Amino acid sequence: MSRRCTVLVALVVVCAGAELVAGRGMSPAAVGDVLAGGGTSTERHILFHLRLPRMLVALGAGACLGVAGLVLQSALRNPLAGPEVTGVTPGAVLGAVTATGLGLAGWESPLAVVVAACLGGCAGAALLWLLAGRGGDDPARTAVHGVLVSAVLGGLTAMVLLVAPGELGSVVQWLVGTTEGRVWQHWHLLWPWALAWTAAAWLLAGPLTLLRCGDDMAGAAGLSTGRARRLALLCAVALTSGAVAAVGALGFVGLLVPHLALAVFGADLRRSLPGAALAGALVVCGADAAAQLLSRPVASALGAGSLTLPVGALTTCAGAVLLLAVVRRAPDRTF
Amino acid sequence: MSVHATTHDAEPAARSGRWQLPAVLALLAAASVCALTLGTPYVPLHRLPAALTAGDGTLAGIVVGELRLPRLALALLAGACLGAAGLVLQEALRNPLAVPEMLGVSSGAALGVAAPLVLAVAVPAAVQPLLAIGGAALGGALTLLAAGLGRSPSAVLLTGAAVAAALQAALLVLMVMADQLDLQLVYRYLLGSLSARTWEDVTGLWPWLLVALPALVLCAPVLSVLRLGDADAEALGVRARRARSAALAVAVVLIAPVTAVCGPVAWVGFLAPHLARRALPAADAVRWLPWSAAWGAVVVAVADVPARLALAPVETPAGAWTALLGVPAGVALMRSGTRAPKRPRRRPRGCSGERPPAPGRDPGTGRAVPAVRDAGTPVRRTPEPSAGAPPGDRDRPRAGAGAPAPAHRPEPRSEESR
Repeated sequence: MSRRCTVLVALVVVCAGAELVAGRGMSPAAVGDVLAGGGTSTERHILFHLRLPRMLVALGAGACLGVAGLVLQSALRNPLAGPEVTGVTPGAVLGAVTATGLGLAGWESPLAVVVAACLGGCAGAALLWLLAGRGGDDPARTAVHGVLVSAVLGGLTAMVLLVAPGELGSVVQWLVGTTEGRVWQHWHLLWPWALAWTAAAWLLAGPLTLLRCGDDMAGAAGLSTGRARRLALLCAVALTSGAVAAVGALGFVGLLVPHLALAVFGADLRRSLPGAALAGALVVCGADAAAQLLSRPVASALGAGSLTLPVGALTTCAGAVLLLAVVRRAPDRTF
Repeated sequence: MSVHATTHDAEPAARSGRWQLPAVLALLAAASVCALTLGTPYVPLHRLPAALTAGDGTLAGIVVGELRLPRLALALLAGACLGAAGLVLQEALRNPLAVPEMLGVSSGAALGVAAPLVLAVAVPAAVQPLLAIGGAALGGALTLLAAGLGRSPSAVLLTGAAVAAALQAALLVLMVMADQLDLQLVYRYLLGSLSARTWEDVTGLWPWLLVALPALVLCAPVLSVLRLGDADAEALGVRARRARSAALAVAVVLIAPVTAVCGPVAWVGFLAPHLARRALPAADAVRWLPWSAAWGAVVVAVADVPARLALAPVETPAGAWTALLGVPAGVALMRSGTRAPKRPRRRPRGCSGERPPAPGRDPGTGRAVPAVRDAGTPVRRTPEPSAGAPPGDRDRPRAGAGAPAPAHRPEPRSEESR
């Protein structure tokens, strides 16, 4: 148990290190130089004001998404639930884009973006709840309805984007999820929110573990299931919204990470919730480092000068593969 | 199978189907008039013939003849293709949610078109549909291979969602690579837009339609047999796998050229078949097919009016409107389709202990799964009325979209006996 945790922490540290040395601006040797106290002022600026916050934001957003996914899957007892397929992420994107388009929020008022994303996420989840009903006894059905809800919300987002085009380029980057150009302000906004709601999620770990056993058992054990589930959903929406406001709609992280965490740490959420946070940070940070390392050969192969692969593209592809695996693995039981 | 039961079943079907033709015609006429007259400049209805005959002479003539008319024609053609393709997909996979968007077909086609545009590879216009077809076939084949053909509808849909997401990620990478001007173009194209399409685009569609139409006519009867389930279809002499692949190929040929010209106009293939089924619940695929095409044309033509006019100086893409209006409408149709059977019109006499209808039965997958399981059951015809049909069996036939086509089979087997 503790060995697995140690391995995971070590992996996170390795990924964070890779994230620091990956990138175009300076060579790995220069990074070591700067860390040793040397380097020119430009190099110091790159490392301490661009790469370090970027790494931290990636770690924090990944942890948020991982915890949110695990909370959602446990509360809904649905292995296919994740912020992306329950309408939370598209709703959060819609909320943030609308608020920015209407001029209610912007880079000057970052907290408003988070609040708008949170409202949108709640609206998306409520829409799914209206559509699929409270039942939720068939996980695949809920997921399919989630795809429909995402389509509607995506249409609305497109409408808003076309009416108020603004900077379509940066918004598109954000739609797919990117850690490009994240600075200390983003981090200062992300960590209090993430810390507060992760703590809330951890306090809910016991009730969530009971919820995983089914409503009857949880009720027999003295848990008020409805209230626990509502609190858990609120927590998941808030965590997702924070991550979306910081890095955009990273595809499938919230779906992929909980499976990883459960496989490594088992079904006791008091252990696997921190595990999911670690795994989420690992996945996002590793994907970001891989995206930066991959960007150069891809750019030279396609002949495009300054191509940067958005990290969301990588996580989406990995998540798609994992979704296939999950769907195929349980052929008779649930599908 | 009594004659009485048959006529009684046919009569409400005919009654409910009667409003379909006037509805389609009225909506088509209204949409056409709006598409031709409204806008800047406004051309009143009584001046339309004059403007059309005047040709290039006047401003109104040019606007109507060279801009609005081809756009309307393209909307009708594209909608008809998408509606027909949607029905073919849904029938072939026996899944009311099998739409191009959910199977990765649309995303694949869009990828095939957008990639050369962004990578600045010069492609002659004639090759573009081929690229779209390649991408669409790739997306669809990937989904079906990954899911396996014989698997349950939900699994196919989820696999399709995963494949579509991966293709979308590739598209987004392309969009990130594009410069600002290309990005606007690609973004509008990806949402499905009909703006600034000319007669050339319309004529580009014709060759593909000439290929697809005979194939469609040939495969329509097979579709109604495929509904019964693979085993029964084989027993009736249809090679089910081959027939299904052929049907999917037809759908790809219908979808890809449309996507090449006006982008993935979303969810038309979802809404149109459900409208057609709703109007004629008792019919089979052969009769649904033309109506589905008609409804598709109506949906796109109607959606194009707000796309052109709602936010007047800015054009909104028609695909966004079809997604916004189509998904809720389709889901509502599916829901009411499942709810309706809970109130059978005539209760059989002497039946006690009626099985309560399953509460909160899901429209999509909840019905789709029984549709596969029930495929062998002759569901539409109830047994002899005097025998006191079990109400549970009576409930199922009205399942609307999900219910297999009427099948005359010698001996009714019930689901439980399997």
